[in-house]
Amino acid sequence: MNRETIVGTSAPRVDVRDKATGQALYAADIDLPGMLYGKVVRCWEHAHARVVRLDLSAAAKSPGVVRVLGPQDVTANRYNSSVLDLMVSEQMHDMLGDIEDQRIFTDHVKFQGDAICGIIAKSEEAAERAAAKVIVEYEPLPVYLTADASKQPDAIRFTPEKPGNLAFQLPEPMFPGHALGGGDVEAAMRDADLVVEDVFYVPKQKQCQMEPHAYIAKLDSTGRLNCWTSSQMPKLVQAKLAKLFGLPMSLVKVTPTVIGGGFGTRLGLISEPQACAMAMSVPGHAVKLLTLREEDWVISPSRHPGKYWMKIGFRKDGTPLACDARFENYKGGYYLDASGTAFTAGAWLGGMYKFPALRYKGESYFTNQGLTGAYRGYGNPQTNFVLEQLIDRACAQMGADPVEWRKQWHKGVGDDGWCPGVTYPSCALDECLDRGAAAIGWSEKRRQYAHQSGTVRRGVGVAVMNHTSGAMPMLLEHTACTVKLNEDATAEILFACSDMGQGSHTALKQIAAETLGFPFDHVQLSSGTSDVAGFDIGAHASRTIYVGGAAVKKACEDVRRQLLERAGRHLQVSPDELDIRDKRIFVKADPARAIEAETITRAGVYHFIDPATGQAGGEPGQIQGYVSFFAPHNSPPFGASFAEVEVDTETGEVRVLELVNAHDIGRAINPAAVEGQLEGGIQQGLGFVLSEEMYYDGNGRILNNSFTDYKMFGPSDMPKITTILVEDPDPVGPFGAKSVGESGLVSPVGAVANAIFNAIGIQFTEAPITPEKVLKGILEQGVRDYGSIGGAH
Amino acid sequence: MKNRDITLHINGEECRLNVAVNRTLLEVLRDQLGMTETKYGCGTGECGACTVLLEDGKAINSCLTLAATMDGKRITTAAGLSDFGRVNHIQQAFIDEAAIQCGYCTPGMVLKTASLLATNRDPSDEEIRHALEGNICRCTGYEKIVKAVRKAARTMPAPAACGAETCTEVAQ
Repeated sequence: MNRETIVGTSAPRVDVRDKATGQALYAADIDLPGMLYGKVVRCWEHAHARVVRLDLSAAAKSPGVVRVLGPQDVTANRYNSSVLDLMVSEQMHDMLGDIEDQRIFTDHVKFQGDAICGIIAKSEEAAERAAAKVIVEYEPLPVYLTADASKQPDAIRFTPEKPGNLAFQLPEPMFPGHALGGGDVEAAMRDADLVVEDVFYVPKQKQCQMEPHAYIAKLDSTGRLNCWTSSQMPKLVQAKLAKLFGLPMSLVKVTPTVIGGGFGTRLGLISEPQACAMAMSVPGHAVKLLTLREEDWVISPSRHPGKYWMKIGFRKDGTPLACDARFENYKGGYYLDASGTAFTAGAWLGGMYKFPALRYKGESYFTNQGLTGAYRGYGNPQTNFVLEQLIDRACAQMGADPVEWRKQWHKGVGDDGWCPGVTYPSCALDECLDRGAAAIGWSEKRRQYAHQSGTVRRGVGVAVMNHTSGAMPMLLEHTACTVKLNEDATAEILFACSDMGQGSHTALKQIAAETLGFPFDHVQLSSGTSDVAGFDIGAHASRTIYVGGAAVKKACEDVRRQLLERAGRHLQVSPDELDIRDKRIFVKADPARAIEAETITRAGVYHFIDPATGQAGGEPGQIQGYVSFFAPHNSPPFGASFAEVEVDTETGEVRVLELVNAHDIGRAINPAAVEGQLEGGIQQGLGFVLSEEMYYDGNGRILNNSFTDYKMFGPSDMPKITTILVEDPDPVGPFGAKSVGESGLVSPVGAVANAIFNAIGIQFTEAPITPEKVLKGILEQGVRDYGSIGGAH
Repeated sequence: MKNRDITLHINGEECRLNVAVNRTLLEVLRDQLGMTETKYGCGTGECGACTVLLEDGKAINSCLTLAATMDGKRITTAAGLSDFGRVNHIQQAFIDEAAIQCGYCTPGMVLKTASLLATNRDPSDEEIRHALEGNICRCTGYEKIVKAVRKAARTMPAPAACGAETCTEVAQ
């Protein structure tokens, strides 16, 4: 029985009234006096080319133009728009081989949309008209769209530091043989009774956050560079901009704006460098830089696509012996995040099942596709699509029930998680599997669908996943948090991490109010601006509640301790004997002995000496709490998804009838917000497996940068959704909470693919599984009853 | 580019404007009038973030509408569904059902809901989902939005009490 009264309730979100009425200010909504408008001129014609001539003279004369900026007019410093380089030690940074290979404006176009030059004008329209007058002549270069193409010995090098266009592979000193894992994979495979193996392709998915990227920048009269941005990591953006422009951090101020969806795309920089470079050329003037939707598609990083090979060996009783895998992902033209997904895809693989031997190789190759970087799930859906299908292939051949097999062989408490040596402190995956199976009617439907006839076939499938709560120990997990008490005993919390819309600020406020013993509405939480807020890594790796919440809790505990100490002196009891409820501090054994928190806080702020007696009224000093918190763990959440699908064997269409997402989230601080993460995750997971992919023509130009041509699941496409919150409080997380931000989209991927397998007896190695691929599979392999495969029954 | 004098009645207020004939209603609302509650999501009528409501209860994409063609029209934006600082029953339903995450699609969603409920006071889930097809949400999976629309239908003030066809009554 939980004693909490605020944590665990679906408290209304702190920002929704503004959002419901449209009063919330996103970056594009901000209007500053005398504001100018920037436009980045991009290369739309080529994905790989050299600029041989850039003539800005006509653009400069265009009406309303204030400045035109070419590569020579901005800093020549290079940058890396990802933030991974700031999250690891210098030694690790060198070992990973992180490089800075991006320029504000380039003369070597490496992907369609690369920035060539900038226009600043008095209106958006004037900037656009001037941009059309820029003359650029290109020398087209060979376009490499896959790793196979860019790794050829005669391919042009994307950057001198990376021979063979191999942007990243797991570094030898940390991963012998450039492989993650351990054990003798070759020997284990020789002992295997059953080996399943295939080569898969995983797609390039786009975040499609609804708010297009927008920025305002201004160099103010004190020489301070100001940037308004909806980045997920305002403090790291401050550090990145300071380094790029050679400024001390005290001369860079980042103001976070309301975020219209992130999903990873705002992790780090996108066009902040261009916006700031423009602002620095017109001191005193704010410059607004907006992004068109079609532009947003190509300039912000998307999910890493690529070729994923995997082989798994089993004993005939189902015992897994070894897993051998290699993910060769296609970077875009620049390095950013090259080390991240290449590693994590294998980390999630290693964290899932008890493979005595594991060898995973992750490699990132430069290509001329659009940029790739962080996207919700970060390598996990790719691994889920591959691993979970191969597990089901083996189960079918061995006659094993996929739910029972997973229950027997998934990792759990005490086993190594995604990072070797960091063991799982909690795991409720069995309960997820049991409750999910019951919700979808697993046993009965599996029996029923084993033998079918007719044009339309049904299937049910399962998949499981593990994720993470913050990224320690691979990446820095640091959050500073300040709590101050006002004189009326209300609390104001400063915490630099943004709320991307997931409701994290509401949940953090619940944690604060619960810890303080204050009413929810008597606590305020703000991310502030970079000049007043303490350090925080930012919203990534599903860390905000697990790490940020723990920091807020600790800072509030500090405040609570100070309050109780003062109350204890007043009531002449030890602070341990006291508790706070609704701002009233009372002796636990004798609740009538009490003092209002406000009596203490008011005396602390308005502290007077009685001139007549010389007596002080109460204890002086405003109470403030502070913590600089480093997460001690990463308590991974687990999840099981169950899907029921209907496959039309004549049209190839797959309709998802139901999706059950059962998640081991430790403890739901705000259940409605947690459900929202799982439900929204399903929409993106279904897209990954069935409909979403960015397509390029042979010259590397995107074919579907619009919501019409890029198919996301709409309201009528969505299946019946059931979310199951499995609460088994984690011993480390705040109030037992683990993460939920990313994980909801992962296992729907494998569950749908496995449901299709159950329906028509065919597995698909390329995602998304579009009707064309289904029809091709049926033509090539024929529809089979699942019950007729191997030993399946 | 030619300009044209027009009058728009926005959220009950008369606005006399001189607009370039190539300006969309979205641009005029946002840039000329500072009514940033109407959002730019795609500019091509695919996402519904720029939805506004006309007096007949019809919801339109303001990014596809030239302002010059709207002379004399009555237009409601998300800020106009209720008095300043308050929310109407639709907005309250979205809040109650936790149907708002990043909030960027929300102004369009609540207006599309108002449009649906103006002609169908008791829509089925299927009708709700169909009505929302032109409004993209990337956060919620639509689950809680559908629930919110259902709740908005249940809590809708009776027509007599409502006054306007588009039902801009404050629920509180």
